[in-house]
Amino acid sequence: MVIKRIHMEILVACLTAIAGVVVAGGSLELGVGWTDSGPDAGYFPFYVGLLLAAAGFANAVWTVIVHRGEAEVFLEQEQAMRLLGFFLPMVAFVAVTLVLGLYVGAALYLFYVAWRQGKYNPLWAAALGISFAVFLFVVFDVLFKVPLLKGPLEAFLKIY
Amino acid sequence: MGNFGLLMEGFQVAITPMHIGIMVVGVMLGLIVGVLPGLGAPNGVSLLIPLTFTMDPVSAIILLASMYWGALFGGSTTSILFNIPGEPSSVATTFDGYPMAQKGQTTRALTLAFMSAGIGALVGVVVITLLSTWAAEFALRFGAPEYFSVYFLAFCAFIGMGSSAPLKTIISLLVGLALSTVGMDTITGTLRLTFGVNELMGGVSFLVVVIGLFGIGELLMTVQDGLRFRGVTSRIDLRDVFRTIAELPRYWATLLRSSAIGTWMGITPGGPTAASFMSYGVARQWSRPGEPFGKGRPEGIVAPETADHSAGTCAMLPMLALGVPSSATAAVMMGGLMIWGLTPGPMLFATKPDFVWGLIASMYISNIVAVVLVMATVPMFAALLRIPFAIIGPVIVAICFVGAYTVSSATFDLWLVLLFGVIGYLFSKLNYPLAPLVLAMVLGHKAENAFHQSMILSDGSLGVFWSNPLVGSIMTLALILVLVPQLSRLVSKFRSRGTLRSAQ
Amino acid sequence: MKKTSIVLALAATLLLSAGAFAQWAPERPVEFIVASGAGGGTDNFARTIQSIIAQHDLMDQSVVVLNKGAGSGAEAFVYAKGNAGDPHKLIFGTNNVYLLPHVAKMAYTSEDLVPVAALALDEFLIWVKADAPYADAAAFIEAAKASPGSIPFGGSQSKDTDETLVALVEQKTGAEFKYVPFNGGGEVGVQLAGGHIAANVNNPNENLGQWQAGAIKPLCVFSDERMAESEPIHGDMGWHDIPTCAESGIDISAYQMPRTVWLPAGVSDEQLAFYVDVMEKVSQTPEWQEYVANTSQTGRFLAGDDLASFIDNSETSTVEVFKAEGWTAQ
Repeated sequence: MVIKRIHMEILVACLTAIAGVVVAGGSLELGVGWTDSGPDAGYFPFYVGLLLAAAGFANAVWTVIVHRGEAEVFLEQEQAMRLLGFFLPMVAFVAVTLVLGLYVGAALYLFYVAWRQGKYNPLWAAALGISFAVFLFVVFDVLFKVPLLKGPLEAFLKIY
Repeated sequence: MGNFGLLMEGFQVAITPMHIGIMVVGVMLGLIVGVLPGLGAPNGVSLLIPLTFTMDPVSAIILLASMYWGALFGGSTTSILFNIPGEPSSVATTFDGYPMAQKGQTTRALTLAFMSAGIGALVGVVVITLLSTWAAEFALRFGAPEYFSVYFLAFCAFIGMGSSAPLKTIISLLVGLALSTVGMDTITGTLRLTFGVNELMGGVSFLVVVIGLFGIGELLMTVQDGLRFRGVTSRIDLRDVFRTIAELPRYWATLLRSSAIGTWMGITPGGPTAASFMSYGVARQWSRPGEPFGKGRPEGIVAPETADHSAGTCAMLPMLALGVPSSATAAVMMGGLMIWGLTPGPMLFATKPDFVWGLIASMYISNIVAVVLVMATVPMFAALLRIPFAIIGPVIVAICFVGAYTVSSATFDLWLVLLFGVIGYLFSKLNYPLAPLVLAMVLGHKAENAFHQSMILSDGSLGVFWSNPLVGSIMTLALILVLVPQLSRLVSKFRSRGTLRSAQ
Repeated sequence: MKKTSIVLALAATLLLSAGAFAQWAPERPVEFIVASGAGGGTDNFARTIQSIIAQHDLMDQSVVVLNKGAGSGAEAFVYAKGNAGDPHKLIFGTNNVYLLPHVAKMAYTSEDLVPVAALALDEFLIWVKADAPYADAAAFIEAAKASPGSIPFGGSQSKDTDETLVALVEQKTGAEFKYVPFNGGGEVGVQLAGGHIAANVNNPNENLGQWQAGAIKPLCVFSDERMAESEPIHGDMGWHDIPTCAESGIDISAYQMPRTVWLPAGVSDEQLAFYVDVMEKVSQTPEWQEYVANTSQTGRFLAGDDLASFIDNSETSTVEVFKAEGWTAQ
């Protein structure tokens, strides 16, 4: 399975057009007119949205007309797999972070990638993850007093 | 000559073992804070403020200012190594700095960036030394229409040159403008485009977008071709550093031009971020033909770095002389001044000459200290790229997300980073330029505010933008910068068509 | 020498009084949530208190300062709502806590926070350019009446304290101005010094530098009494020489912005009492007096019923202005 560039071009152009419609629509309730004291709150975003919708649409049409039938490849299957292999753990990292906090999330994420993708010894990978989390804690929470998101583990250890 | 005498007295204040020590500490802290996105200069400086309450104001401001310089230098490092701008003003450095590092010339890229940054900063201090009185009065002449004209000029200077796909440039620009309107609007006091999401009240954070678009987006581009950094097998050779320094004089025109742009944008309300973009745009347009920009051209690093630092330095002037901070960091420092019992304003130069000139003298020294320290880190940073990707990749990802989280301690921003990471990947893969989006985000809302204020003042008349020679000439210059390249392209198109025909 | 002895004496009294109140004390680091960006007036307020607490050891736990200034500070108050009952989060603001929900649809109400204390009042003055043809506030109002809606009056933000005050002046005097919002007080001060606007209502410390330089001059202060005696600022004029606006014929007795500290709703009385006590001790330190003097604010400690009635008065009178201007949300 291969993703063709032209399909992605059209998809992205359509998405930008939709984003334009959303922006313009969201500005409507703010008032989009021109008053005595200059533009209303929604004036700029409304026209930016309209233009964006138009440009996105034009881009989609342009792509269909000019590049129709071109077979340039956007992603090979192998590339897509690699991309997902990198992207999905990242998404999982964010999801885990919401529950367990940034420190645990980062440690688990580093551990997983080093272990599964880097083919490191799991003990070594775990040490890597934990020492990175400790490094983050020391730099952010302790030295620069920037508290990062904490979860149940930190609460259990009474680290606030 | 009065200023020179005062500067010499300033040096007597600044050159003491304790103050040099403070500078070294400040610059080191700044480097750390600048390298890690999420700590950032404003954060670091505000953290130090309570420590300064018991210090002598001169020592205190030297500490804070040194930290600021350090952070400015540190911000460029991650731009070049990982395509992650540590500070907003180093976004433009990624355009050519990162490609050059990918070609295996990490040391050269870092050295170019740091040296030209140092030169830019020194030019900035010299301007402050010579022109402080005049510049402060000049800055007073900037009202809302003039503000708008400066933003407009920065915009036009950057956008003015051609791009391969005009439609995609426009889309990218509009996306940036749309993003900049999200959140509370200062002029009308209304919340815009938040769609009921509380986290969007303050707008979409610039840093979050940049981390996603550049940092995560670039990582995705990297991994599709294998889990390693593209083309990086850099030897670290100290001789490279000196070879690059010897190469610098070749870019004297870029250095000069960029310092001028930076100085101008630092004194007027443009700020360092706009200055670096504008300078990059101008360099691209005016440099001699050679290897293309965006693929690791030296001028593409020299221009934004020089302008960034001369603007950052000159921005201290409006802060001291007028009480207008032109960056978030300056705002924090100004808060410090007030707590120390000093009032920023025109009289500060007269009532506290030892403070002001001590600071200015310290800027000469601490920037040199910063260059020396930061150059010493070059081999260390260049070595970072040799760590296996399976380790450094996730470390960068984690640091990106940590950085995004610290902007407003909101988990919502983590999702935004993912979203903009995907957008960044799709956009770069499909050749949408990212720079217009970023520039529009930086300047969009400011320009809109200034425009709106001008309209209120002028009762809705656009003539206000040509109502005095100052604003009129900036606006006209801006229009020329947009139109001339287009015209010249048209002309050359006609010509080439003509020659083609005659050749047939 | 003298300073240390004061500090020692103070420390001794603090130690003695500490036992009486300390039924509850923070169990972990306390977050100071600042309803403004770094470097703003509220930010300086919070960081000064942080440093005084540290210097005088008023709290065993450490303090972390977080800026949440989005949406004119609403971000901080929404955060307080999300952390109801958490006694380790102090919120630092002004009157925006209880005024914001009236002008815009906000995801919190003023019931989501409980007031701890107000430590200082920031004054508002009418400032004009030094070479402006107005000798006093009355002349300025007359000029505005003569050409309604054409005198540009600058202020910080929209529908915030500055615009409210300008609207109040309009309602009380019948004059009409052209209000131009800017991003912050410093910017408004420079716009006035540069002559791009005709007047502003900045707080003293926002305009002090330009007044010292003789670029601008104050006309009157919105307070029921004149400001404290001070060294002359420009010429032979000091803060005390500025007439009150009531003296100058503008019928607004007092309009001041309190610097306030809040807790999320749902905390216990002991927890509230602990912080009231800490803030009171802060307000008695020489460092606090110095901060108040340096920033030309009026130091006044309000807590408990005094604070409640102050907030009530301020809220009712301001909401009247909002209603008259048609700004009220919902």
